[in-house]
Amino acid sequence: MKEYDVIVIGAGHAGCEAALASARLGCSTLVLATNLDTVGFLACNPSIGGTAKGQIVKEIDALGGQMAINADRSLLQMRMLNRGKGSAVYSPRAQVDKNVYHAQMKRTLESTANLHLRQGEAVSIEQISDGFVVKTAVDLVYTCKAVVLCCGVYLNSKTLVGQCIRESGPNGFANARYLTQSLIDLGFTISRFKTGTPARVRLQSMDLSKTVEQCGEEDVRPFSYITDSIPATKRSCYLTYSTEETKRIILENKHLAPIYNGTINGVGPRYCPSIEDKVVRFADKERHQIFLEPESEDTCEYYVQGASSSMPASVQEEIYHSIEGLENVEIMRDAYAIEYDCIDATQLDATLMAKHIPGMFFAGQINGTSGYEEAAGQGIVAGINAERYVHNKPKFTLRRDNSYIGVLIDDITTKENVEPYRMMTSRAEHRLVLRQDNADMRLTELGKEIGLVTDERYAKFLHKKEQIESAQKQLKTVVSPKVYGPLFAKKDEPVTGAGLTVDEMLRRTNITTKDMQELGFFADIDEDALYEIEIECKYRGYIEKEKEAIAQANKLENKPLPADIDYLAIDGLRLEARQKLDKIRPANLGQAGRILGVSPADIQILIVYLATHR
Amino acid sequence: MSNTIVALSTARGRAAIAVVRMSGDDAIKIAKKFFAPFPKKPNMLKVGTLKTQHFDEHAMCVYFATPHSYTGENTVEFHCHGGTAVSQAVIEQCIHYGAVMAQNGEFSKRAFINGKQNLTNAEGIIEMIDAETASAAKAGANLLENKLGKRVVELQNELLDIISACEVALDYPEEDLELPTVDTAEQQLKHVATQLDVLIATSTLGKVAKYGIDVAIVGKPNVGKSSLLNALLGTDRAIVSDIQGTTRDTLTESVNYKDIKFNFVDTAGLRDTSDTIEQEGVKRAKKAADSADVVLHVTDDPSDRSVYPTVRPQVRIYNKCDLFENEPCCVDSLVVSAKSGNVEVIKETLYEMFSAGDIENSDLLITNERHLSCLKLAKQQVNQAMSDCKATTLDIVAGSIRQAWETLGEITGTSAHEDIINRIYSKFCLGK
Repeated sequence: MKEYDVIVIGAGHAGCEAALASARLGCSTLVLATNLDTVGFLACNPSIGGTAKGQIVKEIDALGGQMAINADRSLLQMRMLNRGKGSAVYSPRAQVDKNVYHAQMKRTLESTANLHLRQGEAVSIEQISDGFVVKTAVDLVYTCKAVVLCCGVYLNSKTLVGQCIRESGPNGFANARYLTQSLIDLGFTISRFKTGTPARVRLQSMDLSKTVEQCGEEDVRPFSYITDSIPATKRSCYLTYSTEETKRIILENKHLAPIYNGTINGVGPRYCPSIEDKVVRFADKERHQIFLEPESEDTCEYYVQGASSSMPASVQEEIYHSIEGLENVEIMRDAYAIEYDCIDATQLDATLMAKHIPGMFFAGQINGTSGYEEAAGQGIVAGINAERYVHNKPKFTLRRDNSYIGVLIDDITTKENVEPYRMMTSRAEHRLVLRQDNADMRLTELGKEIGLVTDERYAKFLHKKEQIESAQKQLKTVVSPKVYGPLFAKKDEPVTGAGLTVDEMLRRTNITTKDMQELGFFADIDEDALYEIEIECKYRGYIEKEKEAIAQANKLENKPLPADIDYLAIDGLRLEARQKLDKIRPANLGQAGRILGVSPADIQILIVYLATHR
Repeated sequence: MSNTIVALSTARGRAAIAVVRMSGDDAIKIAKKFFAPFPKKPNMLKVGTLKTQHFDEHAMCVYFATPHSYTGENTVEFHCHGGTAVSQAVIEQCIHYGAVMAQNGEFSKRAFINGKQNLTNAEGIIEMIDAETASAAKAGANLLENKLGKRVVELQNELLDIISACEVALDYPEEDLELPTVDTAEQQLKHVATQLDVLIATSTLGKVAKYGIDVAIVGKPNVGKSSLLNALLGTDRAIVSDIQGTTRDTLTESVNYKDIKFNFVDTAGLRDTSDTIEQEGVKRAKKAADSADVVLHVTDDPSDRSVYPTVRPQVRIYNKCDLFENEPCCVDSLVVSAKSGNVEVIKETLYEMFSAGDIENSDLLITNERHLSCLKLAKQQVNQAMSDCKATTLDIVAGSIRQAWETLGEITGTSAHEDIINRIYSKFCLGK
């Protein structure tokens, strides 16, 4: 029987971050995966980032995680989404080579001290006095002090292509058949979610002349704050559309789709509908956008984004052939839907540890989320806390006002999910301060304290911070109209005749830090620091308002709720509120207020109750 | 940093005194704007004059400096005469200078947050908050059943549409959707702003329903103003004589007519005088006219066409018509005789003037000060969002609109975050 500090079950995006964090912080860590070819496997789209997700990747990086570095290493092309809509929502997205991504991630795990990668299906988890016993399908037994479950979509999963239903994980990988029972025995509520993926098609069989080519952008920063530059576009994406014919085929064959004939019971995400879902629900829309994305430089397979389906394979052929440019396309892998078990994440606290089983952590899709980035963000938090649990250190939690990961974890541990949870910028009430450009300023200091930030990363962080401070000193310098006049004239900004400070000039819509460099300011300041200065000046009023709102919200956030309150006995609370509070047992008043079914009046009653009975 | 809240601390309705309490960083600053002399030291009750928009009031004031107060913040209390009109006017004045209406139980909440709650009086507070919450819940339910509630929900939905469209544009930049620009958002916001104005305007009628109409009776000496007041009241309330300057101070009396209340203010006759007491009376008469909802300008000369100098609406009254030889020259004036008691025409005219008949037929009146301040704040925030549309990017605009939506949610009690997400998915076709 081998002993470890931490066992991580699953080596997807959550598992990799959890295991790396735990091992790097000094815990002997075993990673069990049903198949070692699934380490860091991109089971669905070959891309990392996007709106809100891109911010999460940056946050993982700022804390000392791996996802951003790995994305940079496997990059095919990079774009910045939302240009022109404001800095708060700028979101980087990378197309990555899924083979390289997997290989690089696996190599990183293999070369990390304290980390042991082992193929094996975990079939049971048993709680013992000082930890857990984990058994695998081949009757090997391991013990650990803390366990992190990152089972992704593999728990009891089924894939569906029409009526062809298979007990399988994604892409034909073996699923995890027995672990659900252990979770039920340990008191977890299991629900069933569903997601899907489109077909992969052969590049040479597409008529690219009917599509619009999309290259990456060259002026985007790499994902990781410690990567210096990104390569030029290696592979293009292509944009095309479904047709009236697509619609006709789907409507004619609707009765064959598992989601419409009752074969699928799992709840699917509304934001990730299959092509049949889109056509049925939005019947008046003439055509739907389809992106063709490269899977890897090593293969001709393309991912058909926007056309996931669970139709029978023969109908899938017809559907894909009705898409512009794909008239003669060769399908290489079928689209499929996948159903899987997940737990109710409201049973977890903000460290992602089960409230009723100390030492047992959960991260990723098993918590009812969707997306690689959401999974990885949870993984690093669970991994850090597993180590802290083993070494008796205080808990580490992220907050709604310092990170998207904080928002994500608070949301899933507070609100019962009815569908897979995807991060969106609109979920972050303080998104103005949670930007992709300042994740390092928000989190690297924290990562340093935890011990995950390397010296190299910390030095870069300090350099940027010093540069920002030095640039800030120049903001108060007054410039005479003689000096700035020509610039303002060129930029269509009215000249007042009076002297202006650098700060005042930068608050003008059309004046940038680059312009100020032409006037001799910010000579030695890097682009990254200048970007922070520009946002600081242009958004100052709004950011200050945001900070006030945060301070206001934190008054409740900082009022802890004792773990042993008997909510059911508080008469003033409405019945629904009593039951919800009793079930979810929030950590503080702020979290209590976000529970659906708990009203502001209920919170006031709690406040008074706390004051009088504690 | 905490904003300043205000509320009536004593029970509503008829009582000898009413206590209005204000708490927050600016409480003392705000109180000083309309109470003088303001107490020099904390914890000392001081008599002084409290100036409201409608009247001046003798009242007592005390302040408690942070952290030595119930809430732990700067707190000011006004002890004034009982009855809703007085306390309401005081609260309005606080809001006018920057306070906001307190939510139910908010004082206790702040006391708790600032670590000030103590055990001895807490039981009583729980009862109070329970009661308030129950009535608030009931009021909320009633609100949702009437037209006002429905209108606010409609406006919320309109904002929700704009927000969700903006958010989709931000969260799904690559979808093939007809997405809003700041221009389209601005157009839609204009519509909401207009609707908010309509709602806010009903508060005038709401105020009429609640407090009645203030009517100042002004004119030269001896034109029969006091007789007119007596005739309107149907009693000999004011002293009447042939001596000019009999009425020195203003005298207010109310009378109900149909479903509303008139608050008539008799005033001293307007003339130049060296008598200092009468001078003060004239000054007060002018002040009463300036703060009234309508001025009755009384004359006993049928050829008099003068206009009383005020921005308030006015009605000219030709009194003593029993003595007239010729008909008065202006048709739009009222011709009455206080002596013969034929003054109902005045009440009817005023009633029509304030569309008072509408009150009965209208279920769309804003009478609640908290609702009104929410609507006004929402209007401000919509305006802010519109100016953001001109000056800045969609991420900011979406945030500003969301604030307005949340403010309206304080009226209806519904602004769950999930609403936005649900709206996004029900309206837009999204995803991979």
